[in-house]
Amino acid sequence: MTEPTCCVKTLEVRLNNMLDAGIFESPRSRQQVLEITERLKDISRGLAEEDHLTAIMKRADFLASKGESPECRDAGKAIISEIETHLEIFLSHIQTHACPSGDCAMLTLAPCQMACPAGIDIPSYLTLAGQGRYAEAIDVIREDNPFPWVCGLVCTHPCEFMCVRARMDAPVAIMDMKGIVAEKAMSAREYRNPVPRPDNGHKICVIGAGPGGLTAAYYLALKGYRVTVIEALPVSGGMMMVGIPRYRLPREVIDREVAMIEDLGVEFRYNTRLGKDITLEALAREGFEVYLLAIGAHGSYKLMIPGEDDFPQVVPAVAFLQRVALGDHRPPGRRVAVIGGGNVAIDAARTSLRLGCEEVTILYRRTHDQMPASHEEIVEAEEEGIQFSFLTIPKEIRGENGRLTEIVCMRAELSEPDASGQRRPVPVPGSDYAMAVDTVIPAIGQEVDSRGLEGFADMSWTRRNTIQANTISMQTHQAKVFAVGDAVTGPATVVEAISGGKKAARAIHRYFEGFSQPKFPPVPTRRRRMEFFQMPGSLKSDLKRVAMPLLGDDRRRITFQQVRLGLNDIQAQHESRRCLRCDVCIRCGRCVEICRDKMGIGALQLGYMDFDRPGATDLKITAERCIGCGACATNCPTGAMQMKDQGGMRVLSLCGTELNRLKLEYCETCGAIIGPARYHDFITRRIKEISPQMANRRVCLDCARMETGRRHAEIAPPGQA
Amino acid sequence: MAFRNGQKVEIYRRSQDESWEPYMDDYIGLHGIITDPDAVKNDPEALVEVSLDEKGTHRFPQDCLREMH
Repeated sequence: MTEPTCCVKTLEVRLNNMLDAGIFESPRSRQQVLEITERLKDISRGLAEEDHLTAIMKRADFLASKGESPECRDAGKAIISEIETHLEIFLSHIQTHACPSGDCAMLTLAPCQMACPAGIDIPSYLTLAGQGRYAEAIDVIREDNPFPWVCGLVCTHPCEFMCVRARMDAPVAIMDMKGIVAEKAMSAREYRNPVPRPDNGHKICVIGAGPGGLTAAYYLALKGYRVTVIEALPVSGGMMMVGIPRYRLPREVIDREVAMIEDLGVEFRYNTRLGKDITLEALAREGFEVYLLAIGAHGSYKLMIPGEDDFPQVVPAVAFLQRVALGDHRPPGRRVAVIGGGNVAIDAARTSLRLGCEEVTILYRRTHDQMPASHEEIVEAEEEGIQFSFLTIPKEIRGENGRLTEIVCMRAELSEPDASGQRRPVPVPGSDYAMAVDTVIPAIGQEVDSRGLEGFADMSWTRRNTIQANTISMQTHQAKVFAVGDAVTGPATVVEAISGGKKAARAIHRYFEGFSQPKFPPVPTRRRRMEFFQMPGSLKSDLKRVAMPLLGDDRRRITFQQVRLGLNDIQAQHESRRCLRCDVCIRCGRCVEICRDKMGIGALQLGYMDFDRPGATDLKITAERCIGCGACATNCPTGAMQMKDQGGMRVLSLCGTELNRLKLEYCETCGAIIGPARYHDFITRRIKEISPQMANRRVCLDCARMETGRRHAEIAPPGQA
Repeated sequence: MAFRNGQKVEIYRRSQDESWEPYMDDYIGLHGIITDPDAVKNDPEALVEVSLDEKGTHRFPQDCLREMH
């Protein structure tokens, strides 16, 4: 067994070893250490309160000062030192019910929760949603993310990439489930804010009303801070509002979730650009003590080709999408070329189509399978009639009389694989050709527009032209100035900005409380420990991922109606039951090993357990092979695998999924349960050499022993007959 | 090299890039999945998002990553 790296577990193991070694001789010292280990065990099982640490320190102090031997006193000092050194981790175990290293089996989080940048307790909200308890599910989500509805529609869902169910068939539709939870809760007026703490008087200015800034505003307002958000645009939401088209994310969704933040008392000032409409000095005069920069990355990279700056019909994608989002629905032209292969390019192309452009073509220098845009977006664009021209490199933009008329491109071909195995696009000499277009929309990347931030003189910038900030505390190099979102990471995702906002709120609170800033990323918090759905293994295997219903193609081409129509109750129930409950089954593999290697049965085929080398999973095979011995359940460290005798049957289940059900048999002598016939046969085969006369009888081990003993007693020793 | 969504990767070494932070040293040797590649320019300098097995989601410079086969 590998040594634990978790300081709680390590201390518990060390003290148990010392107890076994007899280091604590006096009964009183021994009792103190036993009480310490009991409390450590509580901490590592998620059962501790904060006074557990005080109780441990009190007992350790007794050992350090009144221990009967130098070893005993040293042990007391070592316990105190260990807790003081790793206080944050001990407290994190108690407060978040999570073990960062995963050594504390009961506190190991599901891979989906670990992968979520916001740290949402996904298994808990999936279970609640599956039970139709949407109001509770939204509360669980909003503990970690104030934008469940937004993320239910446009998140890049790293959780689904890590979903263990994907190793069986397809990941649970975690994002879509979040969407229905938010929609249902909002519709039923059960989408509520927690009660904020009383006003603490501190004033914080958030610059930028995007997902990062708004998330920080939300959590700071809940902690009692007075938060003001200044925003250059006339609307909230940042890139959510002006970068993501309405057919993916309706404006009402953003408005509703922002309104929840406003309800907490956060003040919004729109049309207020720092450095233009208001100065840093003016903000300082208003009494703001801390600034959070969340200005996003609204600048655009240029194509750097001739003609790019010569025609007003060359419109960067970010500016184009912003213009449309703010209400200008005039088509940019009749024949549009969008340059790029990412999600922004797809958004610009699909938006152009909806505005009435007759022909929209995406020019991409690489191949279809190298497009970085999400697969769903590409497929939906193709369905809507967007044209794609791959291996195409723009060379020049031309026009007449101030109007754009064509774009000159070169064909490319992929090179031979280089040292890294990558095939790069190489222009084919002489392959130039002109494509007649009247609008060009470059979508090749965004950058931070730093205008207005000159007042933050001590702040550093990276070579990527982003704000230099510690990504754990979100502190910049300038005192009292924090930064989040795309301005720090470069163009990234909504959920990463939300994560940054949470971290910044925590760091700002620590700053005011006088605590030092953390050195490691925050560990997500386990919000609930939900009961399992009960169902047969065959059904669990056969549940396929629900398909998201989509708006019809015709309407998609001409309106901005939401394309992904959302799940219904039945689909949500179905999907939530696909979850393997990795918050409880930590995939340690002990059950599989014991069944295969110790018992020689091999009734558990759970190939999903290994991240690097997943194998086949068959939940039905257990019913064919399992003998009902219970070795797997006995050795399960978390209670995920359970075996119960009920109603004359022995039932083996994994997180509520019934893997086997066998009829119980009873001892023909005393009536005690002797297990299923398969188990009895297995035992009989093992003992037939020792006790052949019991082989064909249904008796329990106790009765078998008594019977064997009686027969031995009846056999007279040689010479006494 | 350009990474793509869903690729399995390994953090195989420390990066010299300015965006590498000390806590990331603990992640060397871990495996993960690309969850948000450089989504636009295939720029080798861009930071890419990786979900590490059991260790959360982070942005890393590309020179510390290699594809797992």
